[in-house]
Amino acid sequence: MEKNIKILVVDDFATMRKVVRNLLKQGGYENIVEAEDGISALRVLKSSKIDFIISDWNMPNMTGIELLKTVRADSEIAKTPFLMVTAEALQDNVIAAVKAGVSNYIVKPFTAEVLNEKIAKIMEKMA
Amino acid sequence: MAYDNLMGVLNGLVADFMFLDGQEIDIPAAGTFLNQLDNVMKMAENEEVRPAGEVANHLNKLLEKIVIGAPVDKGAGLAALDSGISLLQSIVDNYRNAGRYDGDIQDFIDRVCSLTGERAAVKERVVDASPLSSALEGGPVDDDVCQPGAEARAAGMPCRQEKVEIQDESLLSDFIAEALEYIGEIEINILNLEKNPKDKDYINAIFRPFHSIKGVASFLNLDHIRDLAHNLENLLDKARNGELEVSPPVIDVVLDGSDALKEMIGQLKDKLEGKLQDVFKSDISSLVERITIVENGGHSLEKTKKIGEILLEEGVITPETLSESLKIVQDNPGKKLGETLISEAKVTPRQISQALRKQTEQVSDLSNIRVDTRKLDDLIDLVGELVITQSMVQQDIKNQTEPDKNLVRDIAQFIRMTSALQKISTSLRMVPIKQTFQRMSRLVRDLAKNGGKLIEVEMVGEETEIDRNMVEEIYNPLVHMIRNSVDHGIETPEQRLKEGKSRHGTIRLRAYHRGGNIIIEIADDGKGLDKKKILNKAIKNGLISSGEGLSEQDIQRLIFLPGLSTADKVTDVSGRGVGMDVVKGAVEKLRGKMEIESAPGKGTTFVASFPLTLAIIDGMIVQVGPEYYILPTTAIRKVLRPRPENYNNVVGKGELVTVMGQLLPLVRLYDLFGVKTKYENPWNAICVVVGDDNCSKCLMVDRIIGKTEVVIKSLGNGFGKIKGVSGAAILGDGRIGLILDTEGLFAITENKEGP
Repeated sequence: MEKNIKILVVDDFATMRKVVRNLLKQGGYENIVEAEDGISALRVLKSSKIDFIISDWNMPNMTGIELLKTVRADSEIAKTPFLMVTAEALQDNVIAAVKAGVSNYIVKPFTAEVLNEKIAKIMEKMA
Repeated sequence: MAYDNLMGVLNGLVADFMFLDGQEIDIPAAGTFLNQLDNVMKMAENEEVRPAGEVANHLNKLLEKIVIGAPVDKGAGLAALDSGISLLQSIVDNYRNAGRYDGDIQDFIDRVCSLTGERAAVKERVVDASPLSSALEGGPVDDDVCQPGAEARAAGMPCRQEKVEIQDESLLSDFIAEALEYIGEIEINILNLEKNPKDKDYINAIFRPFHSIKGVASFLNLDHIRDLAHNLENLLDKARNGELEVSPPVIDVVLDGSDALKEMIGQLKDKLEGKLQDVFKSDISSLVERITIVENGGHSLEKTKKIGEILLEEGVITPETLSESLKIVQDNPGKKLGETLISEAKVTPRQISQALRKQTEQVSDLSNIRVDTRKLDDLIDLVGELVITQSMVQQDIKNQTEPDKNLVRDIAQFIRMTSALQKISTSLRMVPIKQTFQRMSRLVRDLAKNGGKLIEVEMVGEETEIDRNMVEEIYNPLVHMIRNSVDHGIETPEQRLKEGKSRHGTIRLRAYHRGGNIIIEIADDGKGLDKKKILNKAIKNGLISSGEGLSEQDIQRLIFLPGLSTADKVTDVSGRGVGMDVVKGAVEKLRGKMEIESAPGKGTTFVASFPLTLAIIDGMIVQVGPEYYILPTTAIRKVLRPRPENYNNVVGKGELVTVMGQLLPLVRLYDLFGVKTKYENPWNAICVVVGDDNCSKCLMVDRIIGKTEVVIKSLGNGFGKIKGVSGAAILGDGRIGLILDTEGLFAITENKEGP
């Protein structure tokens, strides 16, 4: 299993990014980049090769779904796997993300197992 | 050919379905499928294939449910989807051949509905199969005997002790720091939201932090923080999508909620730093109850507050004091909190009796009704017009040579009643200044904490009433005065000790009515104004050439000139410095006055007075040439006809009149306003002395017409700002009189700018 993939974690709450980083570490993923909103995330995506995006739903300036749509519309990065982190959101949000082409979603709070399993499955499909 | 496009999409669905079927729902495939179903529904509508639209609609709902992980039998669901696609193809085929579909779709729809449970139209919540989230539903809680947290007990809530395990310390301390920052932002934005209850940006700015805090709290097993944040988040979500109006009860409960969150997070911090053995988990159920009530549009009436709560709220005691005293009360059954606080010398008996009074007053608060403020404003406007009409009637009677006695008597009665009506109607709009004082008290608490100072707030006369339309307007100037007192007035505890003062500084908020005004005093027992510094700064800024001839008062008043902030650094919650000149300007905009008194080492007092009502003033009508003008009675000090010998024309100082031993400048109003008059000699005309203790002038007018109460009408935007004129009024005989503003008049005469 390819554990050296570069994962971009996007969330405006620094502590949350740290939590995700810790959970990813438990799954063996250590190559992690952070961004605090959609705009800086896009900058990172365009300037370095990101293999996986984990993004929160609710962020200022650019919401998770807006980021998703922008990524999917940009031919350079359109195929990047995208995992959306949602709180027990209403179905509208999740459906919107699914229709916009999200690879999968994950509901807070989650364990390291669930997170890493979802990542693995998505990466498998890509291969 | 007809229906070709639709058929094409359906064929695509068949292909997509292959990707859907599998052990687990393939999300991207589901996304594509859903988008295609949308297309089917749209096309079905355009080409009027109604049965296809209906079937597709139900398939859409079914797949959505599966995607969000709702309890749907997945196998059966996918099978239904498969059949559904075939059914759709069959329908379109029939339309292509015969223009209609004769088969029955109801059976199929029933089948789908039984899977989705669709009869109940409730929005679904996403349920992920994550083990953690299910573990969090109702975890076990320790139920030991406990020591209450101060605020919790003060709020009358029982509590439970919680054993919070701190797993990752650095993570927790990060969370605490960030969460507290967020809460600070929430507090600021709540105040903004209060002023703009419809602003979606502010609502969002408050929603997001609660949402984020809830998110991380759930990872760190901080159940109560998560629960409370969750409830607040829901409340704000409703506000965000327009389901709930942001009314004062909503603001209150959000503020209280964020306070409680702050308290809980603070306790975590203390535990982390080893200051606390275990976290005192407050029972947030009453708060959650209030949130629920408010969420459903109810008015969350707080139960009668406890004495401890009231004292805490008023800033009379600190949370530490309260919890210590409560401990004593607990250990000594029969002892009351008030007694304890007094015997421990934490409060004065007067403060206790005030708190008790407030407690009983709250009960009577419950007999209020809610009124649309627009109706109130309309009522008051109408009463205002009534007053004018009354004046007109009075005038008519005066003009009659032989007024009918009965008419005169009846009119007198009529006038008595309209006066009473006017008094009551203006009082309807009056609210006690208490709420403003409480906000200020809270602000003092926060600023003091940030500045490392210990400050107690005293309130006197908080029941004094003020026109509710003014409440918002005066808040800002008062806030700046408070900031000044806290930041520059009151010294740090160490400094105070050095000066032989108590470690705690005191800020006293006082309000009372006097002569048609409400006077608000903010007094601190800090270090007072540094006159030398002020003088030097004023000279440095070129505002004055030297301190010669300036009285103490004059020097203190220099602080109201622009650029006179003698602060070395600007401390301000919103990051901007504001000078006292802006504050004074704001006060004067409301036709108020500002004074300052200070004694070095003893303290500073700001005194702001505002007219009791914005709309109606008591005035004196004066005539100049053909024009009538109105002078506010509050500005008038004396009216006289000067004697020729009291008139002087001094080179370099202009015209002066001696009044009661004082030489006052003379202002020829006819000159100022460009009006022609017969009365050009002061001793043939009337002089009205206006101003205050410090600056008075003689306004020269033809004659006095009389006293009256008038409704102020603004001149309208077309006129812009006219110096010296603050509005206009319709007089009893229908004429228009300009209302004069003495400060403005003085400014004109001093600069010879002209109105």
